[in-house]
Amino acid sequence: MIPKPRTVALVAGAALLTRRALRRRVRRSPLWPLPALDPPISGRPRSRALKLLVTAHETIADGVVRLRLEGTGLPRWEPGAHLDLVLPSGLVRQYSLCGDPEDTSAYTIATRLVADGRGGSREVHERLAEGTELEVRGPRNRFPLVDAPAYVFVAGGIGITPVLPMLRALPDGTEWRLLYGGRTRASMPFLDEVRALAGDRLTLVAEDEDGRPDLAGLFAGTAPGTAVYCCGPEGLTAAVEKALPGDARLHLERFAPRAGADGSAEFELELRRSGRTLTVPAGSTALAAVRGALPDTAYSCEQGFCGTCRQRVLEGEVDHRDELLTDAERRDSMLICVSRARGDRLVLDM
Amino acid sequence: MSNTQPRPVESERIALKARNVSFSWEDTPLHWVPGDPFTTHTINVLHLLLPAGERWFVHVYKQVLPLIRDDRLRADVVGFIGQEAMHSQAHDEVLPHLRDQGLDPTPYTAQVDWFFEKLLGDRTLPPGRARRWWLLERVALIAAIEHYTAFLGDWVLGASELDRRGADPTMLDLLRWHGAEEVEHRSVAFDLFQHVDGGYRRRVRTWATAFSALVFLWQRGIRFFLENDPTLTDPKASFKDFYLRGRQGTLPATGDMLRSIPRYLGRGYHPSQDCSTAQAVAYLAGSPAALAAQKREAA
Repeated sequence: MIPKPRTVALVAGAALLTRRALRRRVRRSPLWPLPALDPPISGRPRSRALKLLVTAHETIADGVVRLRLEGTGLPRWEPGAHLDLVLPSGLVRQYSLCGDPEDTSAYTIATRLVADGRGGSREVHERLAEGTELEVRGPRNRFPLVDAPAYVFVAGGIGITPVLPMLRALPDGTEWRLLYGGRTRASMPFLDEVRALAGDRLTLVAEDEDGRPDLAGLFAGTAPGTAVYCCGPEGLTAAVEKALPGDARLHLERFAPRAGADGSAEFELELRRSGRTLTVPAGSTALAAVRGALPDTAYSCEQGFCGTCRQRVLEGEVDHRDELLTDAERRDSMLICVSRARGDRLVLDM
Repeated sequence: MSNTQPRPVESERIALKARNVSFSWEDTPLHWVPGDPFTTHTINVLHLLLPAGERWFVHVYKQVLPLIRDDRLRADVVGFIGQEAMHSQAHDEVLPHLRDQGLDPTPYTAQVDWFFEKLLGDRTLPPGRARRWWLLERVALIAAIEHYTAFLGDWVLGASELDRRGADPTMLDLLRWHGAEEVEHRSVAFDLFQHVDGGYRRRVRTWATAFSALVFLWQRGIRFFLENDPTLTDPKASFKDFYLRGRQGTLPATGDMLRSIPRYLGRGYHPSQDCSTAQAVAYLAGSPAALAAQKREAA
């Protein structure tokens, strides 16, 4: 049967019109007709590996070198932030940034040589000469400067590095004090700049001349709600914790993981939704404890980089040891394969 | 009948673990296969699809863990999840680099995000049969997609023509590290599908869906890149471009791709019959990214 010419003309006309309409629609938005996710997820990696060039390597105090690491379009940072350096041996070490947060062409770090340390500082001192290419990750901030009515800073030796950008960033008229201690004056970096910034708000304690710092005196008469920032060796942070007035809020940055067998102490872990409470022994992981109770818990790398075991934290302060989560993600979640409790108890939403 | 059952090749089995790789893209040019934007952008479509796609694999597999009744398979799936998570992260880090060079992929990746997060996401289904059906359907889809990732992985490991053309070494390392891990774990998704369901009709149905979706998304991605590449004045692409490059060896050959279809649909198919684990392991032993990851773990 042959269709009538009228039908053929109608169908052909309709097809032509449809094609034209479609083409016009596609031209208007080339990726029509799939919807898009708003906001998108892909293309916003957590942190990008940056390749930086060491352009300055200078000794600025006894046993302390300052490195300038240059790149292009570097992320800005907030005072207190640190950088993960991937050293030539593969070791990953964290160093506080102590340059200008607005400078997007270079980062500045300073490190002290720890002769009997774990090898990271020796590598920085001996192998990161000018002209070396270096991979870094970050910056990240677990020591952020919060709003407070007044501040007290306690820096021990190289612990001045995260504090220095804070001092520069505090608005004029803020009430603050700084205790800067070290073994000898010659071993304390950035002394001139600290003196210029702090003026009479500075208490300088060189152990070989002045002995131990008078922390009780430092904290005497602090206003309620004062934020206390302390960065230094274990002995100093412990002393500050002890001397701290009850109404002050302490922010700590440790040089090394908290002391213990391998920097891990026992803590209690509550799984709120399943109504179970577990004990995570020193030397074992939260993941191991959770898997004992809930065998189908997802995990994979067990080294804190793949992110599979991330869980929501309901209560408790976390000692984050992963190398994946952003500062925002760390506020309410953790990777249970490596991270632990900072205190003696954590509550997870699982 | 033994010849209608999948027959794994035992010697191709290997323990799986994620590698903590990292790549920096500062030195990679926009057209990283010199003078060949079509090949560059055809392979670049991977960076559009994989961040969302492999994130979705992980999301689905986390839910399927409770259904696994075999410890060896569970260990494989655990290793698989970590490898896929790292693939997703590694490809995601290329996207800002494309944006820096004037080729913003966000309009496209936002759609791929929608595709995997919404269309293929967890629907509001009643617990029980409906929810289980949708989970198994997605597990089968992943098995079909993994057939192609293994095919592509095996291809890129042997694509010496890319080296001859002077392709960017960092990009080649990303592709070959990824390809090698895809070959390493090529049996896991299929084994998992066989373990939790294994129905032949579902295998065929999900293969047809996955294949059509891949072709649709891929050609669209190539056209998107060519049209938005700021350095190109004549953004035309045709199937002939693809066919010719397949013959030259800078892209997979069309004939090989067609031949891989009946293989997946064969009743006795098992992924361990294809590809070579030895080639993958040999590449990983010398891959700059994999070696750096190893050093990082030892440190």
